[in-house]
Amino acid sequence: MRLLVVEDEPLLREQLAQRLRAAGYAVDTAVDGEEGLYFGREYPIDLAVIDLGLPKLPGLDLIQRLRADDRHFPILILTARGRWQDKVQGLEAGADDYLVKPFEMEELLARVAALLRRAAGFAQPVLRFGPISLDTRSQQVSLDGRALELTAYEYRLLEYLMFHPGEVVSKTTLTEHLYQEDQDRDSNTIEVFIGRLRKKLDPDNALQPIETLRGRGYRFTLAAS
Amino acid sequence: MQPTDGTGDAPQPREVVSLNRRLLLMAGLVLLAFLGMTGAILDHAFRQSLEQAQKDRLQGTLYTILAAADLSARGLRLPDTLPESRLGTPGAGLYALILDKNGETWRSPSLLGVPWAPTEQLAPGDTEFGRSVVGGLPLYALAYGLSWEDARGNESTFTVHVAEDAATYQAQLSAFRRSLWGWLGAAAAVLLAAQLLVLRWSLLPLRRVAADLKAIEEGRAELLEGRYPAEIAGLTHGLNTLLKSERRRARRYQETLANLAHSLKTPLAVLRGALDRMPSVPPEALEQISRIDAAVDYQLKRAAASAPETLAAPLTVRPVLERLLRTFAKAYSDKPLRTDVRCAGEPVFYGSEGDLMELLGNLLDNAHKWGRQHVRVTLATLPAGPAGRRGLALHVEDDGPGVKPEQAQAVLRRGGRADEQVPGHGIGLAVVAELVHAFRGRLAIERSELGGARFRIELPGG
Repeated sequence: MRLLVVEDEPLLREQLAQRLRAAGYAVDTAVDGEEGLYFGREYPIDLAVIDLGLPKLPGLDLIQRLRADDRHFPILILTARGRWQDKVQGLEAGADDYLVKPFEMEELLARVAALLRRAAGFAQPVLRFGPISLDTRSQQVSLDGRALELTAYEYRLLEYLMFHPGEVVSKTTLTEHLYQEDQDRDSNTIEVFIGRLRKKLDPDNALQPIETLRGRGYRFTLAAS
Repeated sequence: MQPTDGTGDAPQPREVVSLNRRLLLMAGLVLLAFLGMTGAILDHAFRQSLEQAQKDRLQGTLYTILAAADLSARGLRLPDTLPESRLGTPGAGLYALILDKNGETWRSPSLLGVPWAPTEQLAPGDTEFGRSVVGGLPLYALAYGLSWEDARGNESTFTVHVAEDAATYQAQLSAFRRSLWGWLGAAAAVLLAAQLLVLRWSLLPLRRVAADLKAIEEGRAELLEGRYPAEIAGLTHGLNTLLKSERRRARRYQETLANLAHSLKTPLAVLRGALDRMPSVPPEALEQISRIDAAVDYQLKRAAASAPETLAAPLTVRPVLERLLRTFAKAYSDKPLRTDVRCAGEPVFYGSEGDLMELLGNLLDNAHKWGRQHVRVTLATLPAGPAGRRGLALHVEDDGPGVKPEQAQAVLRRGGRADEQVPGHGIGLAVVAELVHAFRGRLAIERSELGGARFRIELPGG
């Protein structure tokens, strides 16, 4: 999942980016509203965290302009004052949830996970596909009730595929949504991660949850249950 | 014009007579006095001239009689055919009578049946004019004394009395009075009507100021926009300046609060983020951050809770509630609660949208946090106060665990100490209590029939 963080305070911006990257997200950061608008328009963003008090282009205007440009990714707003008027205006402008500063990082991660899940069309926090279940709250994947050990990247990769079940997802799409700009974008890495996931999810090679379509990409084959 | 009363709970001031009524009353009184005096003077003058005319007429009759009279041995005699025919006709209203030193010597035939018998003797050359009543008949009478020398040189003295029925005089006077007062009345009516028009026209700018102020109160205008005459331009200009500076001040205040919040909260967020990354954090550190955060939050919201505004348009509560409910539906989409709204009539709130949103938002947030399946909001209108502003009743209830009495007490005990806030209820309810107090309202926490807590707010009318 590729996230955009728009926050003018450098320390807070870096903390947010670090914490989100540690949780396995690809993160772009913008220092003001105009830069935020540029990233939101030009990059395949899955979710944006936007501070309301931004220089150059206020947060509310940024949200409105993104929505006017048909960008429908979920938006979480950060507000300093926590006035209901600000929250209502933020959500009316097109945001989906709000957090009042200062917040706990765990709370932010939980809200981000919930927003991404809801945007993918899942009403419940736990996604179940046959024997595989993925808990978006604890970021825990289990097979037949047994918890699996996944790295943050492996988790995000599986989550992305499960958020698009039955769809063909190209390697390029996966790279765009899971990798930082500055990281190694060798498509072989994706193949390596897919291989590891298959081993962990389907040790007996009986379930075959991830199908490879040569030259086109991957498809999560199980149906939600 | 209504008496205005800023404080609301002060005793009702004595009714002040409106400018319109004052001017009309005084103009009416002056007009009546002036026209009344004019009428009285004209009446008096006309009566005098009528009496003079009456006297002249009687004098003329008297000379006619003397011209026709003949002095004989039996006294002064008049021919049978009198020079003035009315003297010869009984009841014709003109009478004459001649006295010599022995008494009556001649009386006109018109005096037949009239009990008029003056006996007064006047010295030659004297005249007397007056009004008398004879047998219920008002008369004007003229007496004249004279001496007559006969051919032999004997001088005798006579007194001639002539009188005329006052009916003519009376009729003329009545006719004059009728037309006099008729015309004066008509003039008064026209003048009063003109006065009324002048008044309406002169007071028009004041009425326009009142209408413009109402427009500001109802939020249809920002300033007094009309052009006003010089006499009140100073006032309206001053009012506009006051309105502008008040708005600027309020905006600057809100901006300052927003900036303060931003510049206090962001470092706190950074601090918390930094502590989060440390392998072991002393629990006091996190606790102190939470305390600073709560104190900043509470004091900022308290400062932002403005008192009821004097020039506030009535804000319809329902649309604001619906906006908040849509926000909650979005933010709590993982916890779909059934929210029903009971609303009688069209309740209004006299204050800023921000304050109403804080009131409703904090209560709804609390209800969404604690409610299991069901939240209910009830809105109602309370009776209006002396300034015609209706009050507002607002209930928010849920089916959650409810609020324990000692917690309720702590919520209702307002105060500046944010660190004494009730655990689990955050500062939201403290802000609600603060706002209700600022609006001189009442807040009660009860048990709802849904099973959870019911927050009952009553804001009185003004």
